[in-house]
Amino acid sequence: MNIIVCVKNVPFTQEVDLVLDASKQDVKKDNLVYVINEWDNYAIEEAIRIKEETGGHVTAVTLGKEADEEVLRRCLAMGADEAIRVERGDLNPDASMIAAILSAVVKTIPHDIILTGVQSDDLNNGITGSLIAERLGLVHAAVVNSLKISEGKAQISIELEGGQDEMSQVTLPALFAIQTGINEPRYVSIMGIRKASKKEIKVIDASGLGLPGEDLQPSLIMEEMFMPPETEGAEMLQGDAGSLADQIIRIIREKGVSL
Amino acid sequence: MPIARIHFWGIDSKYLFYILVGISVAVFLLGVYSRVSVWLAAVNREKVIVSREGILNLLMDGLFGRRIFKGDLIAGLMHFFIMWGFIGLFLGTVLSTTDYWIIHFLSGDVYLIYSFCLEILGLMFIAGLLTALIRRYIARVSRLDNQAQDLWILVLLFFCVLTGFMVEGVRLAVNMPEGESVSFGGVIFSSLPSSKEQAEAVYPIIWWVHSLASLFLVAWFPFSKLFHVLAGPVNIYMASQPEAVVSRDEESPEGPGFLFRDMINFSACTRCGRCNEVCPSASAMEPFSPREFIAQANEYTRLRYNPLSRIKWFREKLIKSVSALPEISPEQIWYCTTCRACLEVCPIYIGAFEPIRRVRTSEIEEGSRVPNLLTKSLETLYMFDNPWERSKKKRGEWFGDLAVPDLTAGAKADLCYFVGCTTSFDTRAQGLARSFVKIMTHAGVSFGTLGQKETCCGDIARRVGEEGLFEEQVKKTMGLLKTYGIADLVASSPHCFNLFRNEYPLYQSPGATPLRVRHYTQVLEELMERGLIKPVKRMDLRVTYHDPCYLGRYNNIYQAPRRLIRSIPGVSLVEMAHYGPDSLCCGGGGGRLWQELEDEKKLSEVRIREAADTGADIVITTCPYCLIMLEDAVKTADLEGRLRVMDLNELIAESLGLGEEGEESTIG
Amino acid sequence: MAKILVIAEHRNNELREITLQMLNKASELCRANGHELYAAILGNNIEGLISGLKEWADKVIVYNDPRLKDFNPDNYRDVLTALINEQKPIVTFLGHTPWSMDLAPGLSVKTGFPLATDCVDITMDSGRPKVVRQVYSGKIFSRMAFRDASGYLITVRAGAFPAAKAFDYQAEIIQGAMPDLVTQGRREFMGYRDTCKGEVDITQAELLVSIGRGIGEQDNIPQVQELAGIMGGTLSCSRPVVDKKWLPKYHQVGTSGKSVKPKVYLALGISGAFQHVAGISGAGTVIAVNKDKKAPIFRVAHYGAVADLLNVAAALKEKVSVK
Repeated sequence: MNIIVCVKNVPFTQEVDLVLDASKQDVKKDNLVYVINEWDNYAIEEAIRIKEETGGHVTAVTLGKEADEEVLRRCLAMGADEAIRVERGDLNPDASMIAAILSAVVKTIPHDIILTGVQSDDLNNGITGSLIAERLGLVHAAVVNSLKISEGKAQISIELEGGQDEMSQVTLPALFAIQTGINEPRYVSIMGIRKASKKEIKVIDASGLGLPGEDLQPSLIMEEMFMPPETEGAEMLQGDAGSLADQIIRIIREKGVSL
Repeated sequence: MPIARIHFWGIDSKYLFYILVGISVAVFLLGVYSRVSVWLAAVNREKVIVSREGILNLLMDGLFGRRIFKGDLIAGLMHFFIMWGFIGLFLGTVLSTTDYWIIHFLSGDVYLIYSFCLEILGLMFIAGLLTALIRRYIARVSRLDNQAQDLWILVLLFFCVLTGFMVEGVRLAVNMPEGESVSFGGVIFSSLPSSKEQAEAVYPIIWWVHSLASLFLVAWFPFSKLFHVLAGPVNIYMASQPEAVVSRDEESPEGPGFLFRDMINFSACTRCGRCNEVCPSASAMEPFSPREFIAQANEYTRLRYNPLSRIKWFREKLIKSVSALPEISPEQIWYCTTCRACLEVCPIYIGAFEPIRRVRTSEIEEGSRVPNLLTKSLETLYMFDNPWERSKKKRGEWFGDLAVPDLTAGAKADLCYFVGCTTSFDTRAQGLARSFVKIMTHAGVSFGTLGQKETCCGDIARRVGEEGLFEEQVKKTMGLLKTYGIADLVASSPHCFNLFRNEYPLYQSPGATPLRVRHYTQVLEELMERGLIKPVKRMDLRVTYHDPCYLGRYNNIYQAPRRLIRSIPGVSLVEMAHYGPDSLCCGGGGGRLWQELEDEKKLSEVRIREAADTGADIVITTCPYCLIMLEDAVKTADLEGRLRVMDLNELIAESLGLGEEGEESTIG
Repeated sequence: MAKILVIAEHRNNELREITLQMLNKASELCRANGHELYAAILGNNIEGLISGLKEWADKVIVYNDPRLKDFNPDNYRDVLTALINEQKPIVTFLGHTPWSMDLAPGLSVKTGFPLATDCVDITMDSGRPKVVRQVYSGKIFSRMAFRDASGYLITVRAGAFPAAKAFDYQAEIIQGAMPDLVTQGRREFMGYRDTCKGEVDITQAELLVSIGRGIGEQDNIPQVQELAGIMGGTLSCSRPVVDKKWLPKYHQVGTSGKSVKPKVYLALGISGAFQHVAGISGAGTVIAVNKDKKAPIFRVAHYGAVADLLNVAAALKEKVSVK
């Protein structure tokens, strides 16, 4: 079973105050900590579990700069056999470009299963996986929250809205976009990462993939980023915990709920 | 002919005997070899140095069994009798052999004294063995888990000494030389045979039975728990060896990577169960027991590293004898709070928590069985330099309106106050820091903190076995201290303090100026002695003091906090059932604060109930973990309103009239 | 006349609300720009659903075929590609749902139209759409334009627009001609499974005390559960709590859990990911307590407090039980 997992290094933004940079095209990133995209962490864990169960070879692929190799070392430490970084050079790719580049890379690697995360924490497009599959002519499923492999087929469940799952059977080779909660990703120790850093990371240059020019043009042009309008939103309550509790109780009663 | 030691009386086939002796000794040596090979299979074998403390301990704990008497006089006496009976009778045999083969000296008065001594030793031995049997099978001392070998070893020893007396008795029944009445034990048995002829007839039989039993004992010795006779003293000596850095690197093999001293620990344990009695986790009936851990580790290492296990037949035997391939079950290791209580009571200084850390390290590296919350905490620590908050900025928030000099922002002071993560981030523990700052300012001491730049010392990483992360934190923290030229440190937390004091020096380059490290209780005591703080406010309070493990057992600081408490007018100090070196862990150490385990118990509730039983108004502690854990236990044990938990700083600040506004009225 | 096409979404013989939300926005854009509004619906035996769309668009194109009975990204993609190539809409709307996450990329690849996903606002600017999306866990908005193309694909966030009729229509119903389906049987539908069935029905509660990632650890949950009990409310939660298996799925509020409509929704330590927020649009009053003053939940809440949820919960417990 050959498994390819596409992963991304993203800035950790929960519980962090974000500030726009001067260009208003992005946020200031110099103080941000980078982590593996949360969904991708579940995807790589799922790949390792399939490998542990059925045997196989796991290749982790990322599109990024040299600093983003950290995410690949993490994957290697988790148990990936091989890692490839696609050097993006000066490109600032959107989802369609990422998919074009990654599909050109994975096309050259034997694969039965390709896994991606459902979406990335930073740009939140949620389509990179399906775009890759469509470019490669592979069958695919988004938002997969359960995956069982047997005899060239995958029994999957897809998380729909409203508390329903769709159960489906997919013939391999296929691509699955993995949802959080599908497993419990293992801890990656610093020693594991140090060991992994001895392994070679193959680097491929995105510009050397022979992609046609239009594939390397963004579909979407960022006009500006802006902070959510301040006027929207909650009336902020002030005070210590006790006083907050009093105010909350008062509001709840006012709204007709008896306590 | 004068009275003398009689050898091989009426035994013709003494060459057969010596062949059997040879076999028995060979098996003995093979056993010892295989067990020592297991020791030597340890990774990163540390150098053993000559230590005076080690030799002293060897005398006191080895020869006199000092630590066995501690807390259990009967056990001490029992062991003393068995040990000296055994050694004495063994020496008797050696002397006898010398007399036969090398130089004949056991005659006349010398022989009579010799013989009398052997009688006494034999009786001691019997007394010891009987006590042991009674303790195990009649009195049923609860900490003893009677396994098959416990019974068979006692029975075999008893059988050897009994048949020994019988051999002598039957010989005396045939011929009672004058003066032989000193052999009173034998004399008793001499009346057993009904006639001289009968005695002569049974003598060889009894002699052979005695010899074979004794030879079997010798052969079995290294394969049974009797091996502690050899391994115990080595372990006692090793206990005082300085700790070495056992850095795991990329090439380290998978698995726990036990150290030399761990291996000796495992092989020396006799499963006396004292550790289980004091272990807070085991006594709360959590699925963990230090004794079981050591036993499992012993089986695990014995099979994996035993040179004999390379032989198929032997390996199969071994596997069968432990019913399956022994593994150290990984779930149990997270329960250990590393409180050190097991080491405190072990007669031969076995502490389960150190080898447990080795297993934790291998579990951390394996990754998939690490407790959920711990994974998150370690990742938070790695990314944000603290295990609590996914933000570096909030580290200084406890300052509030207090003026706290920041050494990283130009403030100059000789003394650096290392606040620590828990004290900085936990809203309850922040009170500790605020009070300490007020006291220091009140006393006019020049000090400063590292502000938002303060790092995590790495204690959580160290305790849970995340050695790579720990090393990163050591590097980061030492770099920070160097950047700001800090040489004198006072820590809020006994955990940071212990790490800086005992574990950081191992990572310092040789020749570097050692850091002066103190816990805040030491600084406060000094300030009190110098008259810089004088508790004036009278507080009519009954308080009890909870000894944090890392201040007490790890660093022997028991008196400073108590002296500070007693210095406050009106305050009376009462002790809990467990205090000082016997103190009971709050359950927060060893990474337990950051884990959620199945079937985990509230260890802090056990402790807080002990505190409540003293009738105290307040339980004082000197560690932020203990503060959080006990504070929480007050709520869950429904003791709110009856008992308060305070940090010592808060009490002292109160007595100096520096308490938090609005809170003053709540005490006294 | 240029066209805007809306792909209707339905399940278990019911139109999904997102369909009407899209039609609301699309009809507004059509009126302002003089475009024609097309809706397309795919399925088998969907007569009942067609009538539900009649008053919402100028034209409703129907593909009624046994092979379209259950959603299948291969078949649906082939049908819609044929439709788009034939009708050449300037903009095509799909819901930003698991369904469209499987479908829209294929359409983009086959038609060559650029695709913008999860849009919360859409405007037309000289014949070309512009969209607003949320990035960085919803903390930042971004305004995006498309590269030049003959058509554009947009997926719309659930709850971004009301499911209200903006204008009245009497649609012409057109039967679409089934194209050849090229990739058969690679993905087979086996059935639906309800994941939210359980002892507690959070959809019926008047007061929901809801917890999120901010709860920190499992040990803290009983405390809030108890609080909910004392207040006469029901405990609910956001996705991370269920992902960690700290609470069963039937407690979960949000797009992958349940949509709720309590009088008061007390969100404790919930950051407010849009998937969660979409599930509380029916709530009367939302009160949010979070340590992070920039948490997106404060944008949808009516009242907010920046505080540690455990402290507030403890205070609430104390005060409610006294009264």
